[in-house]
Amino acid sequence: MVEIKNLSKYYGRNQAVKGIDFEIRDNEILGFLGPNGAGKSTTMNIIAGYLPSTGGTVTVNGFDITEQAAEAKKCIGYLPEIPPVYPDMRVEEYLKFVAGLKGVPRAERKSQVEASMEKLRITDMRRRLIRNLSKGYKQRVGFAQALLGSPKILILDEPTVGLDPAQVMEVRNLILELKKDHSIIFSSHILAEVSAVCERVVIINKGEIMAIDTIENLERNMTGNTILNLTADGDKEKITRLLKDIRGVVAIQNIEPVSENRHLYQIELENENVRNEIMSVLLNNQCSIAEMSLAKLNLEQVFMKLIQGQKKSSLQELIDETNASNPYDQEV
Amino acid sequence: MFSLYKKELQSFFFSPFAYILTALFMLIFGFSFVTSIASMDSNVLKFSFPNIFYNNFFYFIFIIPILTMRSFADERRGGTEVLLLTSPLSVGKIVLAKFLSIATVFAVMMIASLFFPIFTALNGQVMWSSLICAYLGFFLWGLVCIAVGMLLSSLTGNAIIAAILGEIIMEGTLLADQLGGTALVNAYPKLNSLISWISMQRRFIYFSQGMFRLEDLIFFLSAAAVVICWNIIAIEKRRWSHS
Repeated sequence: MVEIKNLSKYYGRNQAVKGIDFEIRDNEILGFLGPNGAGKSTTMNIIAGYLPSTGGTVTVNGFDITEQAAEAKKCIGYLPEIPPVYPDMRVEEYLKFVAGLKGVPRAERKSQVEASMEKLRITDMRRRLIRNLSKGYKQRVGFAQALLGSPKILILDEPTVGLDPAQVMEVRNLILELKKDHSIIFSSHILAEVSAVCERVVIINKGEIMAIDTIENLERNMTGNTILNLTADGDKEKITRLLKDIRGVVAIQNIEPVSENRHLYQIELENENVRNEIMSVLLNNQCSIAEMSLAKLNLEQVFMKLIQGQKKSSLQELIDETNASNPYDQEV
Repeated sequence: MFSLYKKELQSFFFSPFAYILTALFMLIFGFSFVTSIASMDSNVLKFSFPNIFYNNFFYFIFIIPILTMRSFADERRGGTEVLLLTSPLSVGKIVLAKFLSIATVFAVMMIASLFFPIFTALNGQVMWSSLICAYLGFFLWGLVCIAVGMLLSSLTGNAIIAAILGEIIMEGTLLADQLGGTALVNAYPKLNSLISWISMQRRFIYFSQGMFRLEDLIFFLSAAAVVICWNIIAIEKRRWSHS
């Protein structure tokens, strides 16, 4: 288990991390989500013991990362954003070196290296020079390195960046598999990625935590309302007025011009059945419909609102706020 | 720590790096050796190996920054510094492992050059006492230069700049030694004594005469230790400020 308390980090005068608190529980996959430059990598570097913090504490399995650095670091496997591989070494040679560096007893080194190569499917590459490997394979070698020494905690900084879709799936499955005996913190700026493997997410922006919640909560809250994307011809004002009068329309969130006299309306509905009513009202009023499609309120939109908005105690509060404070929102 | 030491040695010996530098070292040494023989004007050649060191310091010292330039700069550039600093090894052990591996390569270079005195011993006479002391003195001096070169590599983070700065500093101390011998500096006794105290070349003279002074041993070892500690502090400092 990892506890992060009131962690802050200054780079000169610039505060990159502003007093954040969270914990990584045993055998959980914690998603660490935020846009580029949010402080994700800094936080992970501090947890892994690469950078010291300016304030606050990080406790890894009861060991303080600065006070009892060697013990704490033995519990951690870290895959940084750029895989820390030596281009002039061969895969197996490199992994053996890392095993030694991490203090794996000599007798266990070979079996551990074999096991981690097996897990990452790089056994065929063992004789290859790392310099000659593709980016995806380098990433895997970096990942294999993190597994050596059987650390209880894995810190993975954007482990799927630069991989092709098939490899991304493999890495996701691997992370899910590793959950059995590891606690994992996993950062990403891609929401779908995090929602695919993590139980809980920490959303961070500009060094502050915007929300900590489970994916289930997040999704339950997201799917409450239905969004209808409607492209229709006709006067914008008239259509807006007509739509507002229909029962079951919660709000018109966004209107974008498509071409002259044609607009895309994003309408929030109480349920799907309202769309028939919308269709008949528009047709009766000589407005032609070019396209109509249903969409779930997507996580990306909420994420965007989150990172642009204020700090909130729960996601629910944030989502409510998001709906209410939408600049395009027009109440019925 | 042994793993890191071994890996560092492998990075020298599994690439042409160590071999090319050893060849260069032996070339300079051998060239000096051959010219001495070629300029022989009687049946008996009086010739001293310590003199070869003494005459070629400028070239020998040139090799050391090339040995050390990559030590930390490449780790920083390749992002592998993270691996070392997040491993259970302390910064002190990391620096020490790297220092020892470079010192080993340097020792191998010097052992290779023993070919010349051994060859001479087979065909003539060698004064072993002064020879051994000269080797030891040069090795100790080399240790200080290695520590300085590693510090520069860690401070600059760029191998080429580290090498060039290393050349400037190490050749600079040699030039300062020469300056120390001028009448101008001799006119200021305090300056002169300061230069002769830090002068490595003057200390080397004792070694080349077959004198092994405890004072010199302590001077070289403590100078190397101070620079190594400085390096450890510099790495820690960069982690804390990390900009």
